[in-house]
Amino acid sequence: MARIGVFICHCGENISATVDVKQVAAAAARIPGVAHSVEYKYMCSDPGQQLVKDAIREKGLTGVVVAACSPRMHEPTFRRACAETGLNPFLCEMANIREHCSWVHEKGDATTEKAIDIVRTLVAKVKKNKALQPIQVPVTKVALVIGGGIAGIQASLDIANAGHRVILVEREPSIGGHMSQLSETFPTLDCSQCILTPRMVEVAQHPNITLYSYAELESLDGFIGNFKARIRRKARSLDETLCTGCGLCTQKCPTRKIPGEFDAGLGLRPAIYVPFPQAVPNKPVIDREHCTYYRTGKCRLCEKICPTQAIRFDQLDEIVEVEVGAVVVATGFDIKHGDFFPEYGYGKYPDVIDGLQFERLASASGPTLGEIRRPSDGKVPETVVFVACAGSRDPAKGIEYCSKICCMYTAKHAMLYRHKVHGGKPYVFYMDIRAGGKMYEEFVRRAMEEDGVQYVRGRISRVFERDGKLVVKGADTLLGARPMEIEADLVVLATAAVAQPGAEELAQKLHVSYDAHRFFSEAHPKLRPVETNTAGIFLAGACQAPKDIPESVAQASGAAAKVAALFSRSELVREPLIAVVDRQPPPVYSSCVGCFLCQSACPYQAIEKEEIRGRDGQLIKTVARVNPGLCQGCGTCVAFCRTKSIDIQGFSHEQVHAEVLALLNRGERDA
Amino acid sequence: MNALREKARELLATKTVQVVIGYAPGSGGAARALFVREAAQAGELVFDETCLQNLAAYLMKPEVRRLGRAALVARPATLRTILQLAAENQLAESSLLALVPGADGVLSLSTFSAIEAHVAAQDNDLSAAEKSELEKFAAMGLDERREFWQEQFSRCLKCYACRAACPLCYCTRCTVECNQPQWIPVPAHDLGNLEWNVMRAMHLAGRCTNCGDCSRACPVGIPLYLLNQKLCSDVLSSFNQRSGMAARADHSLSTFKPDDPEDFIR
Repeated sequence: MARIGVFICHCGENISATVDVKQVAAAAARIPGVAHSVEYKYMCSDPGQQLVKDAIREKGLTGVVVAACSPRMHEPTFRRACAETGLNPFLCEMANIREHCSWVHEKGDATTEKAIDIVRTLVAKVKKNKALQPIQVPVTKVALVIGGGIAGIQASLDIANAGHRVILVEREPSIGGHMSQLSETFPTLDCSQCILTPRMVEVAQHPNITLYSYAELESLDGFIGNFKARIRRKARSLDETLCTGCGLCTQKCPTRKIPGEFDAGLGLRPAIYVPFPQAVPNKPVIDREHCTYYRTGKCRLCEKICPTQAIRFDQLDEIVEVEVGAVVVATGFDIKHGDFFPEYGYGKYPDVIDGLQFERLASASGPTLGEIRRPSDGKVPETVVFVACAGSRDPAKGIEYCSKICCMYTAKHAMLYRHKVHGGKPYVFYMDIRAGGKMYEEFVRRAMEEDGVQYVRGRISRVFERDGKLVVKGADTLLGARPMEIEADLVVLATAAVAQPGAEELAQKLHVSYDAHRFFSEAHPKLRPVETNTAGIFLAGACQAPKDIPESVAQASGAAAKVAALFSRSELVREPLIAVVDRQPPPVYSSCVGCFLCQSACPYQAIEKEEIRGRDGQLIKTVARVNPGLCQGCGTCVAFCRTKSIDIQGFSHEQVHAEVLALLNRGERDA
Repeated sequence: MNALREKARELLATKTVQVVIGYAPGSGGAARALFVREAAQAGELVFDETCLQNLAAYLMKPEVRRLGRAALVARPATLRTILQLAAENQLAESSLLALVPGADGVLSLSTFSAIEAHVAAQDNDLSAAEKSELEKFAAMGLDERREFWQEQFSRCLKCYACRAACPLCYCTRCTVECNQPQWIPVPAHDLGNLEWNVMRAMHLAGRCTNCGDCSRACPVGIPLYLLNQKLCSDVLSSFNQRSGMAARADHSLSTFKPDDPEDFIR
């Protein structure tokens, strides 16, 4: 006979202000099988937990229902309290009468009635609960970091310095990401490469880090602690072990007029190239799309010139398989390009550029060696208009969010321009200035007050060409929406920060969720910002949302700390709330018919084929089996199984059915 | 018909198969299934327009499986059923051979790929008559449709003849037989009948190969084929997949593909 204890929490006033908790306790006491029913102001407090523990011991309870907040809040608290008394923690259930009842309804009899109903369903459920044991899963103490920008670099270094092996995969020929393209960094104006390259070198030299540059993730299978990753190492067309990085090939390559990715299209590079001088690894790669040999079958000049005979024209992509225990996704962001801004003439006029292109103009390693010269004719611009929120915070453009970094880098751009072109006139058109951050507001004020940057609050309606000048039409909304027209030599658009083009595809490979803008979703916006909803996969940097460097680095270190915590034990304990496939004694063995339609439904690849064999080794039946390490307990397979051969432990058909019946049969009680 | 008999005789005589499952004249002008296990018996086989039953249903019966390798006289829907069963991991390629009677003799298909090629070449679309009936049904309003089915299901006896006839109802334990807990009520009352028939239709969505045996088996004449055809055409338009076209295929309702049309979500 079940002896269930019901513990009703007031949650201060959160519950008791709208629910008559005394009435709930009295009603609960009348439910068959309930041996104990009390209410208390703060059940989660120490004395509250003591009430639960004492009742379990004194009344010999076989199950506990705590009617309080969401199980996401205090279920672990009460399950631990139960475990301390020796009661299996999975015999304790939470009835959520706060989020599901008191917070969403007015005070009244109906609200109390609903609270009673919720308690009734959970009592019915807990009667069918079974004692469960936690699952132990081994952990492979190797981390996979995807993306070698500042976030990926920081995460790799932190994990490696904690003593664990790291495999860092970077899509481009060199690590460094967007940060390596920047000129100076706000709010201190220190040179981006000067602070980044030591980290890049550290990655290259770290004994715990294996770097796969010019490589992409092909697939990821498995589960927390036990992932299997396949990495495609794209053919560089040279033998990296022989190449010394002398650079002769890049100097002699006859195909030289290719717009360089690193210079955001403003500079030219040869077909065999190293993206930038401090590249890590400093090994060239042949761009097969532009290389004369791959296009015409003739040339091979680099092969002739290479002193170590390292060029390999017939090299193929190589697939590397690695086993890892955790994954940090740090694939970064992109900015809006192309014909997204026809009204600004972006893509039409060569002197309308984006923020990243301005970074290259201002950078000593850039195409103009750090002099601000406009792309069309190389003239030093006398007037520059910077346009903040180009695309961002614009529902009409489909981007409602703030790109977050633009206010700061636009102030920096205007400042750098003034520092380099003393007589220059910078204008910044903005919607609002968002300079929340240490020394950020001071930085923007410095641009306005010390560096004489003209800030105009208003939006640009159009940019067009007239007599060799770019005419910028806008309005100053602080001066009664006075229309403005500025004749500029250069227009810099702070275009919206958006997700990487391949983000959706990568998310599907990793089985992590992403938002409407293709940024990866964190498990909880406040309390679990570096985890994804897939256990063992963590997020770092701007792949989750637009972020500046300090935030990316902080999140990367946070993700690294999570990985280090995961790797601190050789075995992982997981809740046993997972799916199990029916098993019975012979001659049935299992009610599963082995159609395996559940297999493709499972988002975690947790369903395997199991061959049931007789003692003579003869195959009797092939049925489904759930891998307990992989299963996340989502229940999709349960809904899919026609024969109801799969059940979720802790949420079994019997338990859910009992809950439904408890609600349906409430009429009988009232009668 | 003679070519079919000859082929059956040859297959049994050479012991290529242990049983030929075909048709023989039955009662009331209908054809019945015939299990030919001796070459001498092959003369009893017939094939004409009365031979409608989807014989693939027998391939799933343990007692038939025990007979050994089977040659199956197959109609177009039968071939698709074979492929669908294969896609659901229920058939081994070596366990059967399909005999397709045609104008110029009998075609013997011994591999899944041969069946796939044959199915790909045949017309798998609904007939014009079926389409117009479906359109009539689709034109009904929601209330009208609910009323229509409630009236139809009120005659259901829960005899499960549809399930017994259906080659894809091969589960050894049907949902209705799960009684701990009993989600689908057993008695033949309105709610139970509705739940049973809707459940069966949902379980066949994306799987049914439209052989029509459920409707022919129903002793009270419920047009079950309408439900199944509607779901088939919905799956086809929503996921661009037709059941029973390939021996290795992911189930459209349990597989996410980035290029699914998915117009119903966007």
